[in-house]
Order: sequence, then C-alpha cells, then structure tokens
Amino acid sequence: MTIRKNMTAGFLAVATALLLSACANQMEPAQQAIAGIDSAISAASADAGKYIPEQLSGVQTKLADLKASFDKKDYAAVLAGAPAILADAQGLLGAAAIKKDEVVKAMGGEWTTLAASVPGLVSAVSSRVAVLAKSKHPPAGVDLAAATSDSADAASLWSKAQAAFSAGNVEEAVTTARAVKAKAEAAAGALKMMLPGAAAAAK
Amino acid sequence: MEEQSKPAAKPANAYAQVHEVVKGDTLGKIAAKYYGDASLYMTIFEANKNQLKDPNKIFPGQKLVIP
Repeated sequence: MTIRKNMTAGFLAVATALLLSACANQMEPAQQAIAGIDSAISAASADAGKYIPEQLSGVQTKLADLKASFDKKDYAAVLAGAPAILADAQGLLGAAAIKKDEVVKAMGGEWTTLAASVPGLVSAVSSRVAVLAKSKHPPAGVDLAAATSDSADAASLWSKAQAAFSAGNVEEAVTTARAVKAKAEAAAGALKMMLPGAAAAAK
Repeated sequence: MEEQSKPAAKPANAYAQVHEVVKGDTLGKIAAKYYGDASLYMTIFEANKNQLKDPNKIFPGQKLVIP
C-alpha cells in the first residue's frame, strides 16, 4: 500500500509539474500575443480614433477581455482568441486609411466651394468696414466695433486656411474656412448687410 | 442718358451688396442710407465707374454696387 501511495503521490507531483510547466510555456506566448495586439492598436490609434472610433473601441474591448483572461492565468483562452483579435487590430490601419481618404475627398469638394465663395464674402465685409470707419454717423444698429473685429479675424483665418490647404492639410483648411465663413457672416450681421451671395452660398 | 442705356453691371463679387436705383435717389441719399453719411457718395461712384460717368446722374433701375 505504501508503494502504491508513493506511486500515486509521485504521479500527482509529476502531473502538477507538467501542468505548471505547460502553463509557464503558454504564459510567454500569451504575453507576446497581447503585446502584438497592443502594438497593432497603437500603430493605428491616431487615425483609427479619428476616422473609425467605433471599430477601434470594439478591438480595444476585445483586447481588454483578453487581458482579463491573462490575469486569470487562462493562457489557453488568450492564445485561442488572440489571432482573430490581432487580425482585427491589424485591419484598423487600412480601414482608417480608407475612411480618411473618403473624408479628405469629400472635404476637397467642400474646399472648392468655400474657396470660391469665402474670399468674396470676406472682401465685401472688409470693404464695408473700411467705408463705415470713415462715416461720421454709421447707420443705427450697426455694431462697427464687432464687425471690425470679426472681419479682421476672418481675414487672418483665411490666410491660415489657405496655408493649410497649400501644405496638403485639407481637413484643417476646410475647418478653418468654415470658421472664416462664420466670422464673416457675423461681421455682415453686425453691419446689417444684406448680401445677395449669402443666400446662394448657403444652399 | 448714355448711362441709362447701358446694361446693369454684374458685380464682380457675388457677395457685394447691390442697390437698385429708384426715382428720387441720389448717390448722397444712397450713401446716407448705407453709410449714415451722405458725404461718402464718392465711394459708391468710384465702385460703379463701369456704369456711371457723372455722380449726379443716376437712373431708376440701375443696380449699383455698395462697397
């Protein structure tokens, strides 16, 4: 009986050792798999966060689940799930690039429209500000100080928008041009100007 | 009457404000309306030299750019 007990104890010791060894063997690959996914997400996160935030969030959630499995020492689950999540993470970069391309193309069209209309608006408003600055009694309701400030801001921002477009940054150019348009329209409002082009451009 | 026969000039800037002359208008009255100061009438005249030869001669129906 003693021999059998000893044999059983020995067997259990060997089995435990094998199990621990297997776990230890799986821990490092699991760690590497998680690191690989982390790295793929990091590489794509800037554009993915901007253009495909929901897709990025989905992959980050899956990675968090994987890390939870790792913390529970369920390395087998990590290794089983990691390849699919790694593929998702690696796909983020391409998906973000496609979406970015779509956005830039759409903004390119908007830039063309803004570039054709905004300078005229800014010019009309700044001309009126210059004339009213010479007026002895600007018309009632005209807020020349506000118009002067908005007009100056619009002119300054328009230079920035053009510089951004020249540098190839269409998104910044369009965003800035929208701000220019808003400033110039605010100035026109302060000047009580009825601009014929404003209604057409708004369509 | 030479000016009257000319077609109304299309403003180079689509955003330029335009005033259509009505009977009784003068450049001084128009300047007073838009600028609050009739003495600035020459600003309007200068901006419309393509259709005005004399600041004292404007005609109903003319479309003047108001800078």
